Parts: sequence; C-alpha cells; structure tokens
Amino acid sequence: MAESDKPASRFSRRSFIKTAGAGAAIAGVSAEAQEKKPELLGPDASTITLSVNGAPRQVTVEPRVTLLRALRNELEITGAKEVCDRGGCGACTVLMDGRIVNACMIMAWDAVGHEIITVESFGTPERLSPVQAAFVECDGYQCGFCTPGMVVSSTALLKKNPNPSLDEIKAGLAGNLCRCGTYGRIFEAVAKASKTMAANKPAPGKPAAKKGE
Amino acid sequence: MAQQPTPAPTPVIPTVKMKAKAGFEGKPVDMDINPAEGDLKPWDLDTKFDVMKGRYPRIEGPLKVTGRAKYTYDIKLPGMLWGRMVGARVPHAEVVKIDTSKAEKLPGVKAVWATESRTVRFAGQDVAAVAATTPEIAMDAARLIEVTYNEKPFITDLEKAMEAGAPPVYSPEQVPGNAQIPRNGNILGPQTGRGLKRGDVAAGLSEADVSIEGTYRVSVHTHSSLETHGVIAQWEGDELTIYASTQGVFTVKEGVAEALGIPRTKVRVITEHMGGGFGSKLAPSASGSQFAIVACRLAKSAGAPVKLMLDRKQEHLCTGNAPSALITVNIGAKKDGTFTAIHHRSFGSAGIAPGAGTAAPLSNLYQTTPNILGEDHSVFTNAGPAAPLRAPGHPQGAFALESAIDELADKMHMDPLDLRKKNDPSPVRQMQYDIGARAIGWERRGKKAGEAKGPKKRGIGMANGEWSVNARGSEVGCEIRIHRDGSVECFSGAQDIGSGFRTAMAVVTAEELGLQPKDITMHVGDTRWPFGPGSGGSNTTNSVAPAVRMAAHDAKMKLFAAAAPALGAKPEELEAHGGKVFVAAKPGKSLTFKQAAAKIAGEQVTATAERKKQYEMFRTELAGTQFCEVEVDTETGEVRIVKMVAVNDCGIPVNSLTTESQVIGAMIQGASWALFENRTLDRSYGTMVNPNMEWYKILMPSDMFEAVSILTPVANLGNNTSTAGIGEPCSVPCLAAIANAIFNATGARVRSLPITPDRMLAALAEARRRA
Repeated sequence: MAESDKPASRFSRRSFIKTAGAGAAIAGVSAEAQEKKPELLGPDASTITLSVNGAPRQVTVEPRVTLLRALRNELEITGAKEVCDRGGCGACTVLMDGRIVNACMIMAWDAVGHEIITVESFGTPERLSPVQAAFVECDGYQCGFCTPGMVVSSTALLKKNPNPSLDEIKAGLAGNLCRCGTYGRIFEAVAKASKTMAANKPAPGKPAAKKGE
Repeated sequence: MAQQPTPAPTPVIPTVKMKAKAGFEGKPVDMDINPAEGDLKPWDLDTKFDVMKGRYPRIEGPLKVTGRAKYTYDIKLPGMLWGRMVGARVPHAEVVKIDTSKAEKLPGVKAVWATESRTVRFAGQDVAAVAATTPEIAMDAARLIEVTYNEKPFITDLEKAMEAGAPPVYSPEQVPGNAQIPRNGNILGPQTGRGLKRGDVAAGLSEADVSIEGTYRVSVHTHSSLETHGVIAQWEGDELTIYASTQGVFTVKEGVAEALGIPRTKVRVITEHMGGGFGSKLAPSASGSQFAIVACRLAKSAGAPVKLMLDRKQEHLCTGNAPSALITVNIGAKKDGTFTAIHHRSFGSAGIAPGAGTAAPLSNLYQTTPNILGEDHSVFTNAGPAAPLRAPGHPQGAFALESAIDELADKMHMDPLDLRKKNDPSPVRQMQYDIGARAIGWERRGKKAGEAKGPKKRGIGMANGEWSVNARGSEVGCEIRIHRDGSVECFSGAQDIGSGFRTAMAVVTAEELGLQPKDITMHVGDTRWPFGPGSGGSNTTNSVAPAVRMAAHDAKMKLFAAAAPALGAKPEELEAHGGKVFVAAKPGKSLTFKQAAAKIAGEQVTATAERKKQYEMFRTELAGTQFCEVEVDTETGEVRIVKMVAVNDCGIPVNSLTTESQVIGAMIQGASWALFENRTLDRSYGTMVNPNMEWYKILMPSDMFEAVSILTPVANLGNNTSTAGIGEPCSVPCLAAIANAIFNATGARVRSLPITPDRMLAALAEARRRA
C-alpha cells in the first residue's frame, strides 16, 4: 500500500502459488528469479532459516505456512496477531527489510533471505521505546490486540517522517484496524512519541526535528 | 436456550441507617440510605479523594505495547494439539450423516468430534471438529469431514420472514407462543418489557397538537472482536484447566462443568488478557457454538491439550451479532413541545434466537411523558443467534426514538435540544446538555436544515442515551494481602476485557490504603480467586469495587492492629493516607506504610471480603447525551464525521483516563455501525457474503474524527464506592446523533443504517423532490 518501492506481489500468496506451481516461467516473476530455477516446494515440510530480530532462526514448515504462522506457531514470537488473515487489518504488521508488511500475506519460505523485525525487538517492558512509552501514557489501546501492529506501523512512520501531521499519522496507520475504538488516543501517542524522539535527538550543530515543519 | 435456575428465596439482610451526600457539583442532595450491616460509609460528594478520579495508565500496558502480553490465542502448551470447528455450509437442513472416517485416517489427526444434533438452522452451526498435531493438518482434516444434509427451505431476510407463508425457522412445538408472548409464523411478540407501558398511548396521540410517525431500519452488526473466540483445554488427570478468551471466567467454569458432568472444583479458567468481546464472550462458548466444550472433549479423547480458536469467518457466523431492527415510532406533542405520547413498535431478528427488542430506552428517557407503549417483536431467521452487544437493543431503539424526536422538532420548527430539555426530567442530563452544547458549538448549528451553501454541507445534531445501573450482590468477593515488606496484592477472579478493570481495582485498593495504584500488584481473571461477575451489563466495576474496598479496609484494620502499639494509639484511631499510617488526631505521629507493615507479626495480613447488597441510589438511570458534527458531500453521498462529543455519568469515575477511552471507543464503534457495518446474507444460499474484514467494513484510521469524552461525576451511592459502569450507556446515542447531524447538514433524513453513499444520495433526491 503505502510502501511501494518494491513490488509487494513478489512476496504475496499469489506469487507463491505461481512459483510453487508446475509452470516455472510466469509473467510477474523478475528476471533474476527466472534465472535461478524455482525449486519445487512442498507439499511436505522442510527446514528453512529465517532472520528474525537479527538472529537466524530455523523453522520446519510446509510451503503453505505464512510468515505470521511460522513466527507464532514455530518460534513462539506472538506479538504479531492473526486477526483477518487477508491483509485487511494490520494486526500482523512486521518489518521486512525495513518496510512494513502484513505477515499473514507472506509465505514463510518467501521470507528467507530477508530481515524480519517484530515488535518484540523495539523495547522491553522495563525499557520501552518512545513509541511504546507514548502508547502506555496516552492509553493508545484497550484490549491491546491491535497494539503490536499499531506500534510497528507507528515506529516505521516516525522513522520515515519524524514530525508527521495528523493527516500523515492517519495515512501512516491507514492499514491498522482497532476494534475497541482507540484511534484518537493512538494518534495522540504517535504525536507524543514524535516530540519525545525530537527532544532526545542529539543536536550535532543543528537544532533537531525541524524537518517537515 | 439456557436453563433458568430456580430463583432462591430472597434472604432478609439486616441494614443500618446512614446519611450521605449524593448528586453532583452544584446540586448536592442529602440522602438517607440503608446499607447492609457491616458495609462502609459510601464515598460520596463530600469525600476528598487521594487517587480516585485520577488518570492512570494501564498496569499491563508495558506488556501490551511490547508484544509480551500473552492472550489465549498466544499460549502454546507442550504437546498441544490444534483444534478446528467445522460449521454447516447450509442454512437449514436435517443432518443425514456425518462421515468422519477420512479425517480420522489422516496422519496427525488425534481426535474427532461430530454433533449429535440432527437439525441445522443457520450456516456456520457446529457440525464437527478435529484436533491434530499442526494447524495445517487440522485444516485438511476439517475439509475431509463429509456431511450429508437434507436441505430445507430457509429465510434470512427480516421483512420476508415476517410474511405469512415464510419458511418457518422453528415448528410451533419447538418454540410455542404463550399468553404473554404470542407467536405468529416466525414472529414472537408483541412483548412489552418492564417500564414500557404507561397510560393510554392511543388517547395520548389523539390529544396531541402535532404528531409524527417514522419508520427506521438498522443493519446487523457483528462484534468482530480482534481475538476470535477460543480456548485451550488441558486435562491433568481429572483436573481441567481452560485458558479462555472470555468475558466471564466463572461462566465458562460453570458451563463446562455442567456440560461435562464434572464438579466445579475440578475446573479452573484463566483469562490473563483478552482481545475484545463487546458482549459476545459472555457465554461458556458462544451464542451459536459449543466450541469450548468440544475442545475439552477433544483434549480428553486425545490425551493432550487442545487449542481451539475460531477463524474470522466462524467468528462472524456463530459468535453473535446485534440484531437487525425495523422500528416505527409515533410521537404526539402539545404546541409547546410537551410530549403527550410515545409509541415504539419494533420488529427485529436475532437470527435463530429471540431477544431482538429495542424499546428499552423508552423506559428511562422522557419519563414525564404520560402515555408510552413499547412493543417488541423478535422475528426468527436462519442466521446465527445474536449475542449482547454493548447495550443490547438500545442503540437500535435510540436510533429510532431519537431520530423521531428530531423529526418532530423539525416539524414544529423547534430547536431539537430545547424539545428534549422540555421533556427530560433527569437533573443529570439537564446539566449535561449545556456542557455538550458548548463543546460542540451548538450555536453554530444552522437553524434551517441544509441551508449551508456549496456541495459539501456541514451540520450538527445530538441524541440521548441512557442505561440502568446493574450490580451483583454479596457473592462477589475480593482478597487483599499486605505483606511484611509493605507490598500489597489484590485478588479478584473477574477478568479485564480491555476496559481497564485491573487498573481500576488497583486504584480502589490504593485509595482505601492511602497508597498509589502502582503500589498494588493485581491478580485478575482466574477462577481460583474470589468470585467476580461476567463483564456484561456494565456491572463489573460497581460489582467488584465495593468488595475490593471492603477487603482493603479489613486488611487495613489488621495492619492498624499491628502498627498501633508502635504509634502509642488504638487501631481505630489510625488513618492511612499519602503512603503513611498515622494517628488521626495527631498526624505528626506516623509511620510509613512500609514501616507499619514491618510490624506485622507473621508473613502477611490477609482479608477476604464480600460485597454488601446494593441499596438506594441518587439515580437508577445513568444519563448521557451525544453531539455530532458531520460533513456531507452532496455530490458523492459520502458522509464524514467531523467531531463527536459524549457527556456521560458513570457515578464517580475510578480511572478517568481509561473511562474516557471506553466512551471514545463507543463513539467510534457507533460511527462504524452508522456508516459502514452491515452483515450481508446471500438470499439464494443463506450464507454470509462478507465474513471477513475487508467487505465487512469497519471504521479505519482514515475515517477518524475528533472524539471527545466529558465525564460528569455523580455521587450515585448504591454501593460503598458510588461507582457505576460506563461500557454500555455511551454506546446508545451515537447512531441517532450522526443521523440527526446529517439531517441538519442536508435536510435529508436517512432512516436506514448504515448510511452508505447510495442511501445518502437517495435521501437527498427524496428531499429535493419534497422541496
């Protein structure tokens, strides 16, 4: 959606079906991918290595297993949640090579060779990131089920745009659904985190956080 | 339908007479109250609070924002199997055969269950289940289960189901009518609930100088909790532990023990964190599924723990919804606006369940109206049974009633706010009207609907809500432990469903002990702790808080007994405030709480207390009103909400931060229902067309507006904390407030929800025709 610097379809379930199917050379697969003969995947489980939160992690999964289910069911990294299973709610948002993606729309095997970062790496309960601390302070949640996805999207937004306007915050979180209705509080939290991060930034010669003002 | 327990004879509880200061700032009222013997003098309007009413971030917040909070859905036990329910694919049929043999033969499948029920009444109803070593195998096994149906005619549309000759959902023997509630075809009713008949409504309407009739339609809204319903069932010998995504751990315990025929002492239910319920998670399993009991059976037969979470489609189909509604409201008024009569006639479908009534708001609102009549009808359709959803029936009913009042005001050329003020006997809401009007800028409101120039028109509207105080009695308990190092633990079995219950009870404990909420370690959501109610009816806070205060008080008295000799005073002469224990008459003579606790002889003092009975209240009705500003694009029909303001009474708020969050959430859920949400069933197949989250549209960040919650604290008494619930009252007015703002903006009245662009354009065309 917002992140369109690379073709998202490369990692989608659809492209998995294409590459995993009998026909090898199919429109939409990059020249690079066509050069390497696509390996025949599945149907049985195989062991693959994922890079998760900076560490190599082995999982043994069938090719139909999504990145989200590999993280949750195999690695017991359960911050990212499965809510809609169709890329419609953002509860499973993780970073892949620095981009926000819906982990329910990426096959685990297609995540091999990419850097996966989950909410667990941003902070700990004892040492919260500025975004996490702002969510707590502003009550940017109720049940908290959408929160990991919201935190990942908010963190990615502030990295790209350290001083977002309200409309930019809404756009940055456009793919994240909260059923308890805490959006207003979440927007406050993102704005607050933006201020905290600007204040914390060391100012080498220049005053911090003036971009976008 | 749940078995009704025989009501026990009401015991006579000895009471004492007390006086307390009720009401709100500027309007104090001296009240005589009769609490049970041993109850504490209630916190009232004169109480100077240390921590109550403050703003406290949630205790569990750091776990939630770091992804460490373990929901039922996140738990993985050693050797755990993955369960999966199989739902009927047809809406109405006799089950001829369920063949599970292929599923059983699939490697990795460890247990299979098939229903004994021979009748399917809605698509998605439980027919079978499997448990397997991986979720993928469970999915394959579910597909291998073959069910043979003898299909029957079905009906999914409310108005078609009301027609004579519509396919019957139940035979007359299955659901017979009776003298109180007649049955006619698929229609059960009319039923007139408590407080919904007064005077003679026909006579009242004939006395009126002006009258109005409006017919309104509301779509079915599904709860769509982000964490689907589900459990993990683990047997250790004959002891059963259930991790459940529930609003009622004790309900699950009772329901499962009863279904399995095992003693309640053998069942433990745990809900540490819960991903949303909104009323749908009050049953042992769900309104339209027995999955929790099935999971326990699968676990028993496989000899391994089973995790069984529903998927998103199942969540839409069988875990409840808010019933549809087709409501006609007649209002009569004198020339000065005084109501002479209100008649509310409602038909709605809760699917295969009864309980689609919507007239209840009339029992609390406009109580000076001499003639009222509420007549509810439930219409059976072949769709999943409804479940309570934040103020069941009230948002639908208030949409009709409050839209009709707006229509009447327009007909009479009266300000709709003045018309309500004229007919509202609630002193609380009378105070709230001006607060809300100021916050939205009511004076900016166009006097003539649709008068704004240009294609994008703004307008302002408002509507009222109400709720009755619900509270559980003496079965609710709490345990408080003060340890010798000064640390404090509070134990309540009730669960935190995202309302902030855990933090609120820490606030109550801290207030009584003179500490800060962060000083209290909370233990909630476990049937091993003292009983707490299911979180329904907005009753959790005011059911549990009085027990928490009582237990904290009793523990404090034990602490005072230990510390009194060191202070050279009697225990009853001591007080605890600001982290200190001191002699009330000589505050200089003090110990820190920690020093006082060090005087405890053993390891800790423990106090367990039960809630005392509910008693006289300042108001039994919780008042609320909402204001809304919208912008309507009259060329595209798109409605954008600009701002909503909710003014609410919830007794004395415990934690204002989280209370406001609940109110804001209710406005957003209401806006979502008013503009987007619509469960759509296929007429030809009887299945749900949009059982997901992209075609079942829910409000997203880009649809957001400014949402403001204003709390008006009221010392309501009734219990020793003067607290009341907020989850539901704030959900009631939203739908009508939005529709009324749209009318003010455009002069077009939309009487069907959701207000989609096509409906908006049709209403605009209709308004142009009339003009």
